[in-house]
Amino acid sequence: MRQEVERYSKPTRILHWVHMVAFCLLFLTGLVLFIPQLGFLAQDSWTRVIHRIAAVAFVIAPLIYIPMNWKATKEGVKKAFSWGIDDIGWLQAAPRYYFLGDESGMPPQGSMNAGQKMWWLIVLVFGVVLAITGAVMWFAKTTAPAAVLQWMVFIHDVAFIVSGTMLFVHIYLGVIHPLMTESWGAIVRGKVSADYAKAHHAKWYEEITKGKEVKS
Amino acid sequence: MAEKAILYDATRCTACRGCQVACKQWNENDEYIPTPEENGVQAVNRGSYENPPDLSPQTWLKMEFREVDTGGKVRWLFTRRACMHCTDAGCVKVCPSGALYHHELGFVAYDKDLCTGCGYCADACPFNVPRSDRNLITGIAKMDKCTFCTTPGLDRIAQGWEPACVKTCPTNALEFGDRDTLVAEGRKRVEALKDKGWTNAYLYGDKELGGLHVMYVLDDHPAVYGLPVDPQISAATIAWQEVIQPIGWAVGGLTILGLGLNYLVARAATKTEKEEKDAARS
Repeated sequence: MRQEVERYSKPTRILHWVHMVAFCLLFLTGLVLFIPQLGFLAQDSWTRVIHRIAAVAFVIAPLIYIPMNWKATKEGVKKAFSWGIDDIGWLQAAPRYYFLGDESGMPPQGSMNAGQKMWWLIVLVFGVVLAITGAVMWFAKTTAPAAVLQWMVFIHDVAFIVSGTMLFVHIYLGVIHPLMTESWGAIVRGKVSADYAKAHHAKWYEEITKGKEVKS
Repeated sequence: MAEKAILYDATRCTACRGCQVACKQWNENDEYIPTPEENGVQAVNRGSYENPPDLSPQTWLKMEFREVDTGGKVRWLFTRRACMHCTDAGCVKVCPSGALYHHELGFVAYDKDLCTGCGYCADACPFNVPRSDRNLITGIAKMDKCTFCTTPGLDRIAQGWEPACVKTCPTNALEFGDRDTLVAEGRKRVEALKDKGWTNAYLYGDKELGGLHVMYVLDDHPAVYGLPVDPQISAATIAWQEVIQPIGWAVGGLTILGLGLNYLVARAATKTEKEEKDAARS
């Protein structure tokens, strides 16, 4: 049997999938307002109902996860905000690595590489922005001044463009890119092979295996 | 085709509110008489002839009454309040489904079936006209506003008739016709008012928002009649529709193109690498 290490805990994976489904629903029901030709799909407000149900899941899922997994949350946020020399190295080596599969210039990465950190920051920042501006449009539609509501739509739209575009990149790197052979398994089963961990997250692999033999 | 318009002459209006009734009747927008026993609504005296209190999904046209103190003399002014049918219409700009659109005769028509209930039009309208009944929790909503009597099935304009409000007006304060003709007529009346000493007389809608399809002959400054002076499409509407959305398309499109390109290059690169490895092994 090949050696495997745990990449994502079960609660983390559940949060990921709830968020993923909610975000995709939010994305698609929001997209119909972006493409006038698809506007007919939204008539009679049913996409608005789905958008609201998904929004509730999108906001509540992390609110349940965070207190139950306080340590993992704290660590994850800390990692996303700690940038070092190897992250600069990642940015420099990324084009050759992701296009040509050239690993020579790629410094060893921790459990999150610089790209993953950027995605994390986008999720954190724009998740909060989308939730707040969305809540204002939902609950203050009849009470807030028109100008405020208009700027809320504007900010919601900017956040939608950034996070929606980056979602494509995230899905592409996770599922489609030829080098990311095990990231799908990591978020489904929670485990990656030791070889994959060594190759993609060498610093992290060293950290978790320090002082103990990996069971085979 | 020549653009059509309505000319409202405030100096001819007696505020009989016949237009309000005709609008409701023709467009099948019922109004109830407040009766506590029947509908649980108590009539309220608001100290004005105005009724109902505001525009609503069932009230597309409403007469407003104003008491204005000019030099110790009270003047009673009437204003028609309904969609102004702008050429440069904020609601049409922000409507995501094409439910609001410009009729070939220039005014803003509305296909209610297409309305998603987003309410963007209500925030974008400089005149605060579109109204909707909104469920606060589900967000289910439908907007309503004056359609210039072009509601499908109730289309008077296609029949060659004038709008219901114009048809019923007993003093010809409301007139319907080619916009160019009405602009000329309105300017003439404003000049006549000025000759009579109404120095602030003004044709509202001649230039506003690219030209309105409901124009007002006023004997005083628009602000006195409660109309926005020099209304504009808001900066948020322009930043959102004309800057951010095109950028969104560009960013989204380029990203998907870039990812596709990356896939082709990376697949080819990993293939040759594998072949080299296999070749080295054998």
